[in-house]
Amino acid sequence: MNVFAFAWRRLRRGWRSGELLIVMLALIIAVAATGTVHLFSERVRLAIGEQSGDTLGADLVYRARDPLPASLQASIDALGLHGTATTLFSSVVFAGDNSALASVKAVGSGYPLRGAITLAAAPFEDGHAAHGVPAPGEAWADARLWQDLQLQPGAELQLGRLHLKLRGVITDEPGKGAGFDDLAPRLLINADDLAASGLLGVGSRAQYELGVSGARDALARLRAEPLADGVKLTTPQDARPELRNSTRSAGQFLDIAVLAATLLACAAVALSARQYGEKLRDEIALLKCLGARRGFLTRALLLQLLLLGLAAGAAGALLAYGAQELLARALGDLLKLDLPPPPLLPLLEAAGLGLLLLLGFAAPPMLAARNTPPLRVFQRSESGSTATRAITLIAMATAAALLWLATGDVRLAGWVLAGAGGALLALASCAWLLVRLLTPLRRAAGGGGFAWRFGLGNIARRRGATIAQVTALGLALLALLLVSVVREDLLSSWQKKLPPDTPNQFLINVQTEELDALKSFFAAHGYADLQLWPMARGRLIALNGKPVTADSFPDPETQRWINRDFNLSWSTTLNPDNRITQGRWWGEAGRGKPLLSADAYAIERLNLKLGDTMTLDFAGEQQTFTVSSFRTVDWDSFKPNFFLLAPPGAVSDLVPRQYLTSFYLPHEQRALLRQLVTQFPNVTVLDIDALMAQVRGIVDRIVRAVEFIFAFTLAAGLAVLLATIEGTRSERVRETALLRTLGAGTGLIARGLIAEYAVIGALAGGVAAIAAQTLAWVLAANVFHIAYGPRPLLWLIGTASGAVVVCGLGWLSLRSTLRTPPNTVLRQS
Amino acid sequence: MRASGVSKQVSSGGQPLTILDHVDLDVAAGESLAIVGSSGSGKTTLLSLLAGLDLPSSGEIALAGTSLNGLDEDARAALRAGRVGFVFQSFQLLAGFTALENVMLPVELAGLGDARARATAALESVGLSARLGHYPQQLSGGEQQRVALARAFCGEPQILFADEPTGNLDTITGGHIIELMFELNRARNTTLVLVTHDATLAARCGRRLTLASGRVQAQ
Ligand SMILES: Nc1ncnc2c1ncn2[C@@H]1O[C@H](COP(=O)(O)OP(=O)(O)O)[C@@H](O)[C@H]1O
Ligand SMILES: [Mg+2]
Repeated sequence: MNVFAFAWRRLRRGWRSGELLIVMLALIIAVAATGTVHLFSERVRLAIGEQSGDTLGADLVYRARDPLPASLQASIDALGLHGTATTLFSSVVFAGDNSALASVKAVGSGYPLRGAITLAAAPFEDGHAAHGVPAPGEAWADARLWQDLQLQPGAELQLGRLHLKLRGVITDEPGKGAGFDDLAPRLLINADDLAASGLLGVGSRAQYELGVSGARDALARLRAEPLADGVKLTTPQDARPELRNSTRSAGQFLDIAVLAATLLACAAVALSARQYGEKLRDEIALLKCLGARRGFLTRALLLQLLLLGLAAGAAGALLAYGAQELLARALGDLLKLDLPPPPLLPLLEAAGLGLLLLLGFAAPPMLAARNTPPLRVFQRSESGSTATRAITLIAMATAAALLWLATGDVRLAGWVLAGAGGALLALASCAWLLVRLLTPLRRAAGGGGFAWRFGLGNIARRRGATIAQVTALGLALLALLLVSVVREDLLSSWQKKLPPDTPNQFLINVQTEELDALKSFFAAHGYADLQLWPMARGRLIALNGKPVTADSFPDPETQRWINRDFNLSWSTTLNPDNRITQGRWWGEAGRGKPLLSADAYAIERLNLKLGDTMTLDFAGEQQTFTVSSFRTVDWDSFKPNFFLLAPPGAVSDLVPRQYLTSFYLPHEQRALLRQLVTQFPNVTVLDIDALMAQVRGIVDRIVRAVEFIFAFTLAAGLAVLLATIEGTRSERVRETALLRTLGAGTGLIARGLIAEYAVIGALAGGVAAIAAQTLAWVLAANVFHIAYGPRPLLWLIGTASGAVVVCGLGWLSLRSTLRTPPNTVLRQS
Repeated sequence: MRASGVSKQVSSGGQPLTILDHVDLDVAAGESLAIVGSSGSGKTTLLSLLAGLDLPSSGEIALAGTSLNGLDEDARAALRAGRVGFVFQSFQLLAGFTALENVMLPVELAGLGDARARATAALESVGLSARLGHYPQQLSGGEQQRVALARAFCGEPQILFADEPTGNLDTITGGHIIELMFELNRARNTTLVLVTHDATLAARCGRRLTLASGRVQAQ
């Protein structure tokens, strides 16, 4: 017989009789759920990435130490993108008798392409978004420059040969970092004034930037073009470490949702295919009797799978497209994100996922049915080998591939897979134990509670089905609990990383002789235990005894970093936002020893190893230190932190030093700042309130997006659970009808059903809760780097909710079978 | 057991179809009745109505002295529990249950004591004492029907309903099953309602009722 004709006919018949419906449904739900979550999170991810473009001032920024090549501008024009050039350099600014070193930024019209400059009329007043850029002959300065030069509105400034009129205070500016790398006060001027200043002659040091914005695909094409020598490309994600971390975490949270949806899909398809494979056995035995060869059966089955997979993949992908669009419509406003159009690749991936799911999870149990001996036609117990181990291995390998494909994050996928595998093992063993434990109930006779004995006995009777069901339900519950645990615990700990009292003000340039006065000033205003960090500024002059300059390093980022002074602090204690990764912290024993602890960024830039020596020049005083430990620093904590730390006493007393601190100042107490600068005129205030608000806004938005996606995954998970229970319907109908004829009432049958599902649900839920929590703990420590402790209450909640949810779903699905009229028994064969 | 003026109509494809038309019937305790007729004449339908598995469209049915009209599904089930036994053409054993468990079911449902001992004895009486722990899939058709017989008699029912109990069996095995059924019936003095299209089998019952197109043709 023609294999194709047979497969087609078989599919149509299976479809009409409803046995394939469950497999198909599970597959469609799987593809649709993963596709929706994947597609929507991809859009959110893109939108969040673009949103952080506001903080960079453009979608992309090209940087170089020489004017950028004209070819770049030509490419930008050719692609229909917008570009705006910026020049940055350091220069002394004069105002009357005062002068200060400022970081000057000359900007052309159109700057910033993304985001906005906020401008205020006077320091510490509320700012508003500025229109355009300073007019030629005018300048905007930040509060520090106002303070350093003791400026008044409308003051006259001199920059090189240029005379400028002061027009406003910059309170926030795209591309301004929160760290101490951008400490020099800012002066913003119009690019047309640049030549007149006469400051950018031959040999002067300046940084040339070209910001670009425009359509996504054009940007992607621009990024694909090769970079000229010495030109560096910056994207919003690497603009600011604190935002980079936020977007990365956001991506990982979204990945977890995708992974959970994928796990759910695997569980659903595996279970329904197993049920279908069982049903296939009778038919295969019959076909073998009639002379069908193995090869024919294999081809026919694979062909059926292929057709099924293509149909389900296409249907699921279409559904996913519709669902994510609905989601986007519903949430777009709430998220305050301008969602880009959905990328179509994930859709194709989702459709492909259908096929992969089928091959990994549905094909093995179905193909194993080929082993059914023809003898089964006479003796139904002859089932042949089920090749369970091979099936499990194939399923695990497929799951690994799926998880990896879903995220592209090997580590995250690896952890989740290991967690799911462990959970699977635990679930299967617990289910086996449960079957063992309940077996005596089959034999127990007499006494009350027949319904319970009957229901629980059924668990032991349907041994294979029980183990499969507990495992699949457990896996689905694990996915559900994982997203809810992640939502509840991980997201909130992430949000709590920026508690409301996160420092929003930095004080720098505090001199040793002002220390006591400043402390008492703060004590008087309710800040009793203000911690002040000492800091010395040094320049790296030798590494391991070999002299170094900026030109010793090839990459521009290190060159820029080397060109600045290094800020070195000292302490015997380590703040909680620092973690030693290699070597040991010196503690009290380190006092006076010439040691250094280097942060990961310094290690990467200078390619440091433990034991390397660094010679620093502190304004003429040269000292050599040995690197004795490596640290990672949580730069998002908004507390003072240093790339380099030394023990107290290691830096000579001759080295000039100053102190800095950070603190939280509620908005309504901003008047304190004015008082502070009046009383301590040479202490510099860095106000990062605006930046904090921006970071918080992004975090909040991400959390909300992730929550919605989780809720959606949750709903999909419940649908999957329902589908797996629906798979047992025909068996239930038969059983209920027979029990009816034998005189069982609805109540008894219902109680039996509830007993059965409650125990299965509780077991699956309990194991899933422990697994989810373990996984969350591992993820918290290894992926998100946040603190997370076990919560035994969750185990209880998991167990109880497993029982309730599975009972509820069982009830929902099988309630109608309770009304099966008993006379159907007489009509069945 | 009494049926008076019992009719059953169903609508198939929007058209009303009369399956049973004014059937009157009386079966005394201990009596045996054969319902005969060609396939599709309404035998199974009548049986299901008599056993309270379904309700008639019109007419009255009383089982064990209780009128079924007005009783809901559960009340009818409760009436059956412990009073009625069944033997089906397609055996109808629960697949996950051993022979013993299958036989114990009605006893437990009726809340009678000693389910295990009774079921063991019942299986012994049908010659299956060596197969207590076997599953239906491991038994031949004749053996499965014997388990079904054991199950039917185990609860000591007052009435036994049998719907073509030999329909799925060969003549010899079917003959054995029938012998067994009549033997158990005699020993327990059970009322028997047997549906069959086999005239010789029908001849062994005390009374015969012939159905044709839903009407009683001869009684
Ligand atoms: N629920 C139903 N819907 C439609 N037709 C039915 C239904 N139940 C029975 N019938 C029809 O009623 C007739 C009698 O059925 P049945 O009692 O099973 O006959 P028998 O057992 O004598 O072979 C048949 O033609 C059958 O197709
Ligand atoms: Mg019939």
